[in-house]
Amino acid sequence: MTAQLSAAQMKRRRQTRTRLLNTLAYAVLIVIALITLYPFYWTFITSLESTGNIYDAKLLPANLSPRNYAAVFTGTTVPFWRMAVNSIVICTAGVSLTVLLASLAAYPLAKMRFPGQNALFVAILTLMVLPNEAGLIVNYITTVKLGLLQIHSGPLGAALNMISQYAAIVLPSLASIVGLFLIRQAYMGVPTELIEAARIDGAKELTIWRRVMLPLALPTIVAFAILEFVAFWNSFLWARILPIDEEMLPLSAGLLNLSGQFSTNSRAVMAGAVLTVLPILVVFMFGQRYFMRGLEGAVKG
Amino acid sequence: MGSKPAAPPATQEGTRPRFSVRTTLLAYAFLLPFLLLLGLYHTWPVLFGTYLAFTDYNIISPPRFVGLHNFQLLLHDNQFWSGVVNSLKYLLVVPVLQLLSIGLALLVNRPLPGIGFFRTAYYVPVVTSFAVVGLIWTWMYQQDGPVTFLLQHLGLMKNPHSLLNDPGSALYAVMFVTLWKGIGYYMVLYLAGLQGIPKDHEEAAMIDGASRWQVFWHITLPALRPTVLVCSLLSTISAIKVFEEIYVMTQGGPVGSTYTALFFTYSRAFQDFRYGYAAAAGLVIAVISLIFGAVNFRLTRGGRSDA
Repeated sequence: MTAQLSAAQMKRRRQTRTRLLNTLAYAVLIVIALITLYPFYWTFITSLESTGNIYDAKLLPANLSPRNYAAVFTGTTVPFWRMAVNSIVICTAGVSLTVLLASLAAYPLAKMRFPGQNALFVAILTLMVLPNEAGLIVNYITTVKLGLLQIHSGPLGAALNMISQYAAIVLPSLASIVGLFLIRQAYMGVPTELIEAARIDGAKELTIWRRVMLPLALPTIVAFAILEFVAFWNSFLWARILPIDEEMLPLSAGLLNLSGQFSTNSRAVMAGAVLTVLPILVVFMFGQRYFMRGLEGAVKG
Repeated sequence: MGSKPAAPPATQEGTRPRFSVRTTLLAYAFLLPFLLLLGLYHTWPVLFGTYLAFTDYNIISPPRFVGLHNFQLLLHDNQFWSGVVNSLKYLLVVPVLQLLSIGLALLVNRPLPGIGFFRTAYYVPVVTSFAVVGLIWTWMYQQDGPVTFLLQHLGLMKNPHSLLNDPGSALYAVMFVTLWKGIGYYMVLYLAGLQGIPKDHEEAAMIDGASRWQVFWHITLPALRPTVLVCSLLSTISAIKVFEEIYVMTQGGPVGSTYTALFFTYSRAFQDFRYGYAAAAGLVIAVISLIFGAVNFRLTRGGRSDA
């Protein structure tokens, strides 16, 4: 039967079928997009309202007022600006050091020959698979034992306190096994002749790393940096478990304090939530391509 | 993140590797800062944590070795076991999450105009912190909030109440949030897997008259098996170890209905300061997740791709 249909008929049939399928696909895509985005949208419009039934399901804000944002910005109970600065410091230090450490360590693993290379690689791999349930507990103990939570006094006390508390927050996440693998993978793609040529020209290894490896692995490094930015910006548990000064908390962790202290004004907390998500969304929009590629690389191996 | 197969180092085949002292020193110099931190914050917790499980420790006085005592206590600790049961219930998220994200990946793999927008939209929950996500859903679940509104209008809820305040539904309400946050992540991983499948196999089968479903079942899915292994392994392990959602949304309540195994560990360590006991519980959870990891490995036939 089908064999008797003319080519034109077949084509038309297929077109109708495709169009129907596409319409169906769009319908499903839109419904799921609504489910993933509506909670954010709802929080946003509710944070813009000053009065009304706060938790109501709605599509548009009942009234518009900057009051909740003003409450967050001028908040006397929660040091919003201070927390934002903390987040920026933690992210900047965290991301740059993580990328630096991983991109340094990946170089010999990818492009040098030395005894223990294989064993080290396998050991690091095993660490990734090994369950690390006590990680939080032992890292907490380590942080205490390292004296990072001690109160310093003296003329430099305040500055030392700040530095050691930032260090307490950042240090446990600096050695990223995933980052090491991603960047090693990128280095493997760099032609060995290029490195040999540089060595013959008398370049030092550090120069080769900086002038040859880093530029050629840049796409992977950027992708990894974006992943790490998101991770550092979003992390809250570790910082909240540490008994540090409240004004040292990053935004994500501070937001939960905000929710405790503003329990009578959930709208202000919503405004805080919106402000916490915003930088991530901006970074995500800009880095989306790299970001997805970074993830794909992680699964393809 | 997926684990990677260990690639052999760049040695030439057949030649015995000759190491230069200079290169060796340099290599370790490059590795040193990373290895120091790795040892301190990754290796040490595994070793010391295992040791702590056999001790009584409160940070102030040195750990006191107590043998299997902590494990004997755990065996009779009802709170721990109800935590384990809740963690096992949480595993229900895994198959649902995997099926939905495979479906979604297939959907967004179609070359439709504007598909980039949808991929991004599904990824927004993934890049948002659990602190924010937990708060948003706590508000959404309020008695007079959108979820209750929706359920009432669908005729699924008679007397309006917050799903999080109801011991019968709280765990499932939190599980939904995990699902909602995770789906975009696994979608991207599956998408990567799908795009790695050579097109000619599928096309050849189509020309031979196979239906779309047959192609998916006999060609696409087997080729996707390594990705399925990675994804189901990741989501199984994170389901057993679920913590942050619960920490933000319910703190284990109401009446212990969302008290999971890892929440038990957290409470013992950071509320009771019984670090040894908490470490023992952590070790048991680790063993449980290893077992489920192995089950996963078997079910996906070791992630071997047939394509």
